[in-house]
Amino acid sequence: MGRKDVLWQEADGFHLAMRSDDRRVVVDLITQLRDAVLAGTGDDRFRRLFPAAYHQDAELDEEYQRLMHGELLASRLDSLNRTNELLVRDEEADVIVLTEDELDSLMKSVNDLRLVLGTLLDIQENEPAIEEDDPAFPQYHLYSYLGWLLEWIIRVRW
Amino acid sequence: MTEQGIGQTRRNDGLTERRHASRLRAVHIPSLVVSSPRATRHTDVVSKTDVQSIPETFDEQSTDVDHPWVVIVWNDPINLMSYVTFVLQKVFGYDRDKATKLMLDVHHKGRAVVSSGTRERSELDVYRLHEHGLWATMQRDDV
Repeated sequence: MGRKDVLWQEADGFHLAMRSDDRRVVVDLITQLRDAVLAGTGDDRFRRLFPAAYHQDAELDEEYQRLMHGELLASRLDSLNRTNELLVRDEEADVIVLTEDELDSLMKSVNDLRLVLGTLLDIQENEPAIEEDDPAFPQYHLYSYLGWLLEWIIRVRW
Repeated sequence: MTEQGIGQTRRNDGLTERRHASRLRAVHIPSLVVSSPRATRHTDVVSKTDVQSIPETFDEQSTDVDHPWVVIVWNDPINLMSYVTFVLQKVFGYDRDKATKLMLDVHHKGRAVVSSGTRERSELDVYRLHEHGLWATMQRDDV
């Protein structure tokens, strides 16, 4: 990929051209999500982050959650923390350079943010476009941005 | 699932654009209220009838006595189609054609069996899919 792209690979890693202002907005959202998840994961907002494993058997699912919920929570927090660190470390740079592991954390975190925002916005398939004067436009716009960014991450890894 | 996750705004958000549309504004998670009647828990939307009619989309020996558990990925309106394909490749090592076929089964049929194995193996598969944000569950194959 050429330098006009958003995300491309070079010998020293993955180069991400992301406005510092946009990075701050994403960091702010990550911080909110991290703090909210730490306060409790039973909230309906987070049902996509911590789903049932045994949809037919509540008893088996309870056992599964007892063993695996903490690990899943720790994994999510680890990705969010890593993403937070990589997005703030060169605060004013136009382009930040990521390792493959960091890109993986970014991918998971961006998808986690989409899952939470999409749940809050009650996103459906073939969602109609929303006008800029709609009060919910900032939320939809951010959701759209995260999808766009995620698509770039997938593209560079394929 | 959805393609690209774009289209919620009237801006041109295509991948060919180097920059996404207008500047992002801060969004506060607690300020959003979840009150939609459309929001249902995953466990609420799966009936026994649904489960019994799950099509066999995983083309390996899912009925073998050594593989009594199956892992199912369910369709959802948030995850990108490309992301689901990528995760199936990453988690299971499937080639892109197989991962794409499974993703399309999920998209068009509502669900697909993506792996089968022992209970322990299936729990690990479910965990890794959950780690990547996919809506996955498991069940006995002989239900």
